Amino acid sequence: MNLEKHLPLTETTYYILLSLLEPGHGYAVMQKAEELSGGRVRIAAGTMYGALENLLKQKLIASVPSSDPRRKMYKTTEEGARVLKLEVQRLKHMVDIYNRIQGDE
Amino acid sequence: MKKFKMFWNFDEEEKYLKDMAWQGYIFKKYSIFGFCHFESGKPQNLNYKIDYRIFKDKKEFDNYIALFEDAGWKHVYGTKNSGNQYFLPMNEKAGTDIFSDRVSAAARYKTLYRICLANIACFIFYLCIILFSVGGDLSKLAFLTPGLWERTGRAFWSAFFFELPFVLLRMTPLVFFMTVIVFYGYWGSKAKKNYEAVMNEDTDKE
Repeated sequence: MNLEKHLPLTETTYYILLSLLEPGHGYAVMQKAEELSGGRVRIAAGTMYGALENLLKQKLIASVPSSDPRRKMYKTTEEGARVLKLEVQRLKHMVDIYNRIQGDE
Repeated sequence: MKKFKMFWNFDEEEKYLKDMAWQGYIFKKYSIFGFCHFESGKPQNLNYKIDYRIFKDKKEFDNYIALFEDAGWKHVYGTKNSGNQYFLPMNEKAGTDIFSDRVSAAARYKTLYRICLANIACFIFYLCIILFSVGGDLSKLAFLTPGLWERTGRAFWSAFFFELPFVLLRMTPLVFFMTVIVFYGYWGSKAKKNYEAVMNEDTDKE
């Protein structure tokens, strides 16, 4: 399975995968993404639902049993967590290169 | 009050519903064939937002509505299979829109386009069944009275009008399916155009 094809992640996807390392429902993810990004990333409801649907289809998240009958719970899959890690490595590499070049000046 | 309305563009429809509310006509529902129902109320500023989705089951539909409610949006109209889902903000949590990026707003048109294509495929299949049932010879759906066109005067007209209802009955499904295919073709092409327009839009929404 080629995980590289998912990269680069959009900011929305990145925060969803990160938030769902712990199981949560849709709105909890919206709140967590906002909190983790320091209030910068606000995912609206329609965008959030669409993103969850896409991630389910790509099997990067899965739905898990929910105590609330109305609200579905989601969790990042192992594959999703690996994609997240690859993305972090990619970003880190980019930041490292920037620092090296800036350091040369 | 009922009005016949068809929209190809979600933004235009949102604006229409907003304008109607501003004139004191509050949107209630859509019924079959695109009739839009309004109730009289006091003129108000209602910021309608429309999503486009079809759900595989009731549970998923409920989950969808619950997410929007949590985020401050009230689901005002739409059914599991209606496609269009109508929302109004109910508190300050809602913000100004149900989409926070352009790609997800445009994705509505993509879904709509796909559903139009699926419907076209489905009705072409029905057409094929009709063609198959007459062995590819559509004249079998027309007038079957032997020697009808050789007759003249009263003999012709009486036979013609006698068979006409049967011909219409035989032709109805064919004409209906073809009309539906053209309709979905038009709708789908509009959806595709709108999708491309939104994706190419120059906007600060990224």
